[in-house]
Amino acid sequence: MAAPPVFDARGLAKRYRLGQTTVEALRGVDLRVAAGEMLVVAGPSGSGKSTLLHLLGTLDEPDEGSLAIDGIQTSAMGERARTAFRRARLGFVFQTFNLLPVLSAQENVELPLWLAGVGARERRARAREALAEVGLGTRLGHRPDQLSGGERQRVAIARALVHRPLAVLADEPTGNLDSETAAAVMDLVVELNRASGTAFVVATHDPALIARAPRRVTLRDGRVAGDARQVPA
Amino acid sequence: MRLALLALRNLARNRRRTAISLAVVATGTAALLLTAGFMAFSFEGLAEAMIHGGLGHLEIALASAAEGRTATLERSAAEGLDDWQEVQARVEALEGVLAASPTLHVAGMASTDSGRSAAFLGVAGDPVRERRMGFSVKLRAGQPMAEAPPREGEDQVMVAQGLAQVLGIGPGSRLTLLAVDPDGMLNALDVTVAGVITTGVQELDTRFVRLHLGSAQRLLSTSRVSNLLVTLDTTSRTETMAARMGELLAGHEPPLAVVPWTARAPFYAQVRALYAGIFWFLGSIVFALVVLATSNTLTMTVMERFRELGTLRALGTSVWQVAALVGLEAVWLGLLGGVAGDLLGAGLIAVLNGIGLEMPPPPGAVDPVELRVLVVPEAFGGAIVLMLGVLLLAAVGPVLRVARLRIVEALAHT
Repeated sequence: MAAPPVFDARGLAKRYRLGQTTVEALRGVDLRVAAGEMLVVAGPSGSGKSTLLHLLGTLDEPDEGSLAIDGIQTSAMGERARTAFRRARLGFVFQTFNLLPVLSAQENVELPLWLAGVGARERRARAREALAEVGLGTRLGHRPDQLSGGERQRVAIARALVHRPLAVLADEPTGNLDSETAAAVMDLVVELNRASGTAFVVATHDPALIARAPRRVTLRDGRVAGDARQVPA
Repeated sequence: MRLALLALRNLARNRRRTAISLAVVATGTAALLLTAGFMAFSFEGLAEAMIHGGLGHLEIALASAAEGRTATLERSAAEGLDDWQEVQARVEALEGVLAASPTLHVAGMASTDSGRSAAFLGVAGDPVRERRMGFSVKLRAGQPMAEAPPREGEDQVMVAQGLAQVLGIGPGSRLTLLAVDPDGMLNALDVTVAGVITTGVQELDTRFVRLHLGSAQRLLSTSRVSNLLVTLDTTSRTETMAARMGELLAGHEPPLAVVPWTARAPFYAQVRALYAGIFWFLGSIVFALVVLATSNTLTMTVMERFRELGTLRALGTSVWQVAALVGLEAVWLGLLGGVAGDLLGAGLIAVLNGIGLEMPPPPGAVDPVELRVLVVPEAFGGAIVLMLGVLLLAAVGPVLRVARLRIVEALAHT
């Protein structure tokens, strides 16, 4: 029997109240992401990219439609179950890095393992290994404010992967980086996707980044306007 | 990595704000310690002043005389003890008893050779035992009475300064005391004023006279005493020793009562109640100030870190772990502020006691009172516990805010 898709979204809809008006952020999105797959969700600002990632990451609930992650329907999960699911099965990378400023690079990477109850010795070893994989093996004790933007995002990527999740959801991961650093971070993401077998869903409107992905899902006005396989640049 | 350590590091992020919050908590703690220490000093000082000013720790009197009356001065010779020397010997044999001194109360009229007269209230005792018991009189002029029992015609008295003023007398003056004895006969006794004293209470100073027991018995033509005043080695044993003496004297006829000093000094209980009221009032103000100030700090730290808290939630931190993080920051503030407050309080107590300030005489009192603040060990621990409670209360709002946090909104927070 074939493994279930990592994400199987059907008819996802999400509406927000904005003052007196209702904004339809997503209007019936269907999306299947296979294990180990890498795709970018492209589209202009306001097209619903971030909303889709929030729903895929169980950070928010859809108003309509269904979502199964690794064969598990998220609608059946309560708040605690969703929290536990995120902790064990998902990784997140944010545009603004979102590292804890009071923790060192290593401690930030240890965080998901600590939440999962991994022992201190194993935690440290895995965090060091993850940081070495993103090229920061010598910056373990540095705090975020002692690291460059690219380095911070590498720490965030290491944090997203350290607990070996099913999928990493990255929302504009290069949005705060210069083009050279962005390209380096994207190289890293592609490499880690190949090496780890973890699925990556990257929301972006960076053309260089879009060109590097083997699959591009385009959103427009909350709908899937295109879903194309491509040869990565 | 521990949540408590993370909370501590979070506090260190905005050092200025944390320092101000700690200062608020420390000042509140120190204020409570100073108030508690001052109250303890006042209670202890008042208690010892009353005990060694003539109440003793315990009074042994006829049960019929003691019943329903509080002030020792109300005991009359008509309701006195006949076999007081035997009772005295039995009581003084008990371990922990410094002495049991007989007292005889006498009321009457004091007249001078120049024809001035005034009513007096006299207390007669055994000066040797009273010295052993630590009873003290505040001598204003002249000298203390001779301790040996006076021979007939050589009786001496100590007159309170208000009465001495009214009668226009001083040390060496002659005085005639007139009093009615237990049989209703009017007796007179010529005495010499040895010294002028103060009781410390203005109203009593206008009427008070101290006599030797032998002189008072001669004036009242009696061998009885009104009561025995017992002083113990420590005040804290008052209740247990009262019980022991009660058992010791249980078979006495007529029945005797052993009355602790607190039962004869309702004023003390009133002062305690008044001070307790003041303490709670001040405590409430400190409590409210600390809650308001620290609640504001904790709210600010939550508001500023919305995105960070949202990230923690996104990574799989439970609502209660995030709420506990904020709660632990409050605990740290309470703990560190409380410890700093204890140190500050101890320092201020040392300084205040070192300076030796004096307060004006309390209402009705004659002498100024030295300002001292006692170290109350349980208050030091209690203040920290209280501050922890205060901070946890202050954290309720911010914690509820965190518990209601929507991850998506928190991540979008700028």
